[in-house]
Amino acid sequence: MQAIPMEFYLILSGILFTIGVIGVLTRRNAIIIFMSIELMLNSVNLSLVTFSSFMGDAAGEIFVFFVMAVAAAESAVGLAVILALFRKKQTVDVDKINLIKW
Amino acid sequence: MINFDMNLLTAHLSQSISVFAPEIALLVTFIVALFMDVVFKKTRNASGYTVCVGLVVTGILLCTQCGVKDNIFVSMLAVDPFALFFKFLILISSLVVCLMSFFSDELNKDDRKMGEYYSLIAGMTFGMFLLTGATNMIMIYLAIEMMSLTSYVLAGFTKEIKRASEASLKYVIYGSISSGIMVYGMSIMFGASGTMNLVELAGLISAGKVAMMPMIVASLMIIAGFGYKISAVPFHFWTPDIYEGAPVTISAFLAVASKTAGFAGFIRFAQMILTNDPFLDWKIVLAVLAVLTMCIGNLSAIWQNNAKRLMAYSAIAHAGYVLMGMVVMDEVGISSIMIYLFMYAFMTLGAFAVIMLIANKIGSEDLDDYNGIGYKMPVLGAFMVIFLFSLAGCPPTAGFVGKLYIFTALFESGSQWAWLAVIGILNSVVSFYYYAKIMRNMYLRGDANDTVERYSFSSASIALVAIITVPVVLFGIYFGPIVEWANNSVALFFN
Amino acid sequence: MYDLVKFVPLLPLLGFLFLGLLGNKIKNEKIIGSIGCGTVGIAFVLLFSMFWNFIQAPPESAVIVPIYNWITIDDFNIQIAYQVDQLSLLFGMIITGVGFLIHVYSIGYMHGDRSFFRFFSYLNLFIFMMLNLVLANNFLVTFLGWEGVGLCSYLLIGFWYDKKFQGTRLTWTGDAANKAFITNRVGDYGFLIGMFLVFITFGTLEYTSVNQAASNAYMSYYGSGIMTAITIMFFLGCTGKSAQLPLAIWLPDAMAGPTSVSALIHAATMVTSGIFLIARNSVLFALAPDTMTVVLVVGIITAFTAASVGLVQNDLKKVLAYSTVSQLGFMFAALGAGAFTAGVFHVMTHAFFKGLLFLAAGAIIHGMHDEQNIKKMGGLKSYMPKTYFTFLIATFAISGIPFFSGFFSKDEILWSVYANNGILPWAILAISALFTAFYMFRLLYLVFFGKERFNCEHGKPHEAPATMTIPLIILAFLSAFGGFLGIPDVLGSWASESPNLIHNYLSPIFADANRVLHSHAGHSSHSSILELGLMLVSVLLAVFGIYKAKQYYSDPAWTSPRKLVRNYNGIYRMLLSKYKLDEFYFAVVVDTLLNFSKNFLWKIFDVKGIDGVVNGTAKGTLAFADVARKIQSGIVQNYALLMTAGIVAILCIYIFI
Repeated sequence: MQAIPMEFYLILSGILFTIGVIGVLTRRNAIIIFMSIELMLNSVNLSLVTFSSFMGDAAGEIFVFFVMAVAAAESAVGLAVILALFRKKQTVDVDKINLIKW
Repeated sequence: MINFDMNLLTAHLSQSISVFAPEIALLVTFIVALFMDVVFKKTRNASGYTVCVGLVVTGILLCTQCGVKDNIFVSMLAVDPFALFFKFLILISSLVVCLMSFFSDELNKDDRKMGEYYSLIAGMTFGMFLLTGATNMIMIYLAIEMMSLTSYVLAGFTKEIKRASEASLKYVIYGSISSGIMVYGMSIMFGASGTMNLVELAGLISAGKVAMMPMIVASLMIIAGFGYKISAVPFHFWTPDIYEGAPVTISAFLAVASKTAGFAGFIRFAQMILTNDPFLDWKIVLAVLAVLTMCIGNLSAIWQNNAKRLMAYSAIAHAGYVLMGMVVMDEVGISSIMIYLFMYAFMTLGAFAVIMLIANKIGSEDLDDYNGIGYKMPVLGAFMVIFLFSLAGCPPTAGFVGKLYIFTALFESGSQWAWLAVIGILNSVVSFYYYAKIMRNMYLRGDANDTVERYSFSSASIALVAIITVPVVLFGIYFGPIVEWANNSVALFFN
Repeated sequence: MYDLVKFVPLLPLLGFLFLGLLGNKIKNEKIIGSIGCGTVGIAFVLLFSMFWNFIQAPPESAVIVPIYNWITIDDFNIQIAYQVDQLSLLFGMIITGVGFLIHVYSIGYMHGDRSFFRFFSYLNLFIFMMLNLVLANNFLVTFLGWEGVGLCSYLLIGFWYDKKFQGTRLTWTGDAANKAFITNRVGDYGFLIGMFLVFITFGTLEYTSVNQAASNAYMSYYGSGIMTAITIMFFLGCTGKSAQLPLAIWLPDAMAGPTSVSALIHAATMVTSGIFLIARNSVLFALAPDTMTVVLVVGIITAFTAASVGLVQNDLKKVLAYSTVSQLGFMFAALGAGAFTAGVFHVMTHAFFKGLLFLAAGAIIHGMHDEQNIKKMGGLKSYMPKTYFTFLIATFAISGIPFFSGFFSKDEILWSVYANNGILPWAILAISALFTAFYMFRLLYLVFFGKERFNCEHGKPHEAPATMTIPLIILAFLSAFGGFLGIPDVLGSWASESPNLIHNYLSPIFADANRVLHSHAGHSSHSSILELGLMLVSVLLAVFGIYKAKQYYSDPAWTSPRKLVRNYNGIYRMLLSKYKLDEFYFAVVVDTLLNFSKNFLWKIFDVKGIDGVVNGTAKGTLAFADVARKIQSGIVQNYALLMTAGIVAILCIYIFI
């Protein structure tokens, strides 16, 4: 069986990362922004796992666990903050969250 | 690296843990503070006192580490005098911020439970301690996240205030993106070199075993991550909004401790990786960042009308001055940065403390409301003037000493960075304008009123500000010990 | 003996701390006043005893009294130390002596002010800083004093912070204080850069070592670029602190402060620190002939410009302020001509008579219940005879009437400018002296003679109390006779070999500088007949000015001046608006900077702003105005976009360039 070359994984990871960044930059809904951030982190995980398995070094895989843990914590905090803000403003549209500026 | 000899490993672990004592003390503090809040339901500040005690204990443990130079947890963390200097600085700021929080009306309103607040401060301090010594990319990422996650919560701690929640949300989004970019850069660097360890990485890079393109891309992405922590332009956009929205104490904490830790990590990373990097012309990158940071910070500050927001831009500008020192990056340069950050910590904390006490009285951070306020609080006003002069870099204050060393480092590194120093000097001229604006509002504006009623402050709060003033004045006149300390730390760092 | 110099700045510092911390507890003005005066008075006595010792047995070289090591890093060592020599003693005595008199005067002048203690603590702080400036043995300590006096000046100009003030785009006294401070900062950075250059060139900041090194190797340094750069930078500092063009604009507005402040800081002491700096580094300046020319030209132009503006001003203190700027111009002209002694001598006589003029003006304003417009005065001679008498003496002195103090110093300046630089600079200065005589006597006639043009709703004008008149009388004595310390050779040769005492006293200080100057310029000798002739001409010019002033303003209808104004309205308006200098600075410097930061920086960073330009002008302009301030749009996604764009931009630069 022919293995999938490393480049394919990396290109997929790059595409995922780009989609994540574009999602963050264009979507207005704070929750979707967080999903996009998760996408960015997952692309990181993908490339780490790829490097790790192609180089036979477990460090990358260990890093992935940490990234996943951090991502979970980040979204937990993020959702809590969104909830707090939603109670005040009845919206999760980041365009309308611009009380502080200039 | 990975050694399967069980005895050796346990020996290494127990050795590591013994050197890790201050951090462990912080963790214990973190947990105990949470429990204290549950146990003593009646006393609001129980966990606050616990954290203060814990920080002091940590400080004592830190003192035992003078001169220790070690690599612990399989080269995850370095314990060296360089990290120690920053740990002390961070510890002092955390302690001051805790003490400040006792006096903050905005935090202590409406029987708010303050347990989480203080324990999160301890947690954030823990993250910053890790960052000062991190020598592995996993560790850098985790330390930064530890700092960020706690600071997201702290920034929005007064969640019934719309601005605070908004600041918190912006902070989470912005912070997550930056750390996402940074960790992507780390994964590229890992892929290109095959190691997460900075020491090994440095060896591989200087041996020319790492490809150019991934190296440049990854370095820039990691610089962006650090740039976000130290709020360097163009990664600074979160700073003004979050400082304005967050409680004053937390703004002060972010401006001082978080920035100091960011610089500690950044310097270590740059010193190990960037200086060995043959591809990236990192000095130019840092110089450009420094110029942008100083100029944008100072010029935007001119138009600000909110004291906290003004201080945010001022903090950005100060990051620019420090970046100038990073351009030099030799022993003189790094020690000048350490001196600068040391001086910067006190004057910034002091200014924020006064802003907080004023806000307690007038309920506003708007500079228009500061008119004539200097006469209603003569003592605090005088302290504020000292802090502002120091921030502007006027002698004989600590701020002047910091700037003096940064500029001297630039001039001593040869004539090629003289232009940078000149831009820095011009910037500090501009900065005087907006600091003077605060003083003008405080003293030279206001109604002609013969009977000015004075604000009354608790003597404890005045004492706190007075204690912060002492180093600002003292180190402006007598700063030999600090300079020596910084020089020694750096000398050991380089060897 | 000279170790006592440690206590000289210490006393005012203690006074400042004591009054500043405890002043509001002590309600008694007498106690506060005597503490404030006492510290300065004792400092003067100490300095005077040291001076007495010094002239009995002059030491070989300057005495250095170390206080403590300030900065020590490897080879870089800065000591806080005081230097006792002819120059520092002379300046120290002027500062504490005249300062003491002005302190005493302030007890009467500030009587009943709600911040009496604050005033005296600031004054003491000022004296402390000023003493540091002149007693320092290195540039850095001088710089500390330099910044410190700037701070005190700021605090004291804005002392009555809630008072309205009329000035170009200034509405509060606080704005005037800001203007003074910010203008001074420009000069301060010149000082700072000069200091860096000195350190790079000589590797030390101590005056004695720098001057020694410079004069030892003067052949290689003479006219070199680095010397010119250093001295030009220092001179920039001087133009700020001593209110010379192009930074002269702050001094007239500094009159917003209490009058005794104007007398102390803005006439007698602080504004002369520029002269001190050049005198202290006379060797460096002598080594830079180009800078000397600049100093001379700036001095002459300032002297002339300010004197001409002074001709038409109607505010009592403004006239004196322009007169100060003009007199400072005279001093710089002397320095630029290489006549360092003459410049320093004029500092001294000027401290006497200008201090006196301001104090007398304060007494007048006090007696007139805060009226400053001289058109609304007149006939005050009979109401305040003592003030009139002292004012008259000071006016004689400043106008250069023979044998009053100003005559000697001004004439020495005129002569040395002629001897070194020819007839044209002399002529301009002589005409400025003519203007001086004219506007001073215009002031005298409008204030003290003629019909009474004030209304008496606040009560009749009254003489000032004794605490105010006694300093006036002492200063009047000094203004009248102080000049005999510097009798020119041509007038005094019949009495002794070298009758010029001040010249003898200061000559060791300037010996090196004069050696450098003479070795390059060659000593040209002029006949004493010529010197006497020029002296006569300048006296005649002064008398002519006085005659014209009398002729114009003895006439109660002011027919001739009014005709002049009508006939030369353009010139009159230009003078009245001070050559539009303030407007020029606001338009060119201040507004540009503000607009740049407000519009350009906010706009350029705003993506929408750039879009607006692209989309069409009409819509674009509106969008522009709307989003002009929005570098921080408040929307977190824009921030993220800008950050990503930043990274991509750096990356692109790397990959494609």
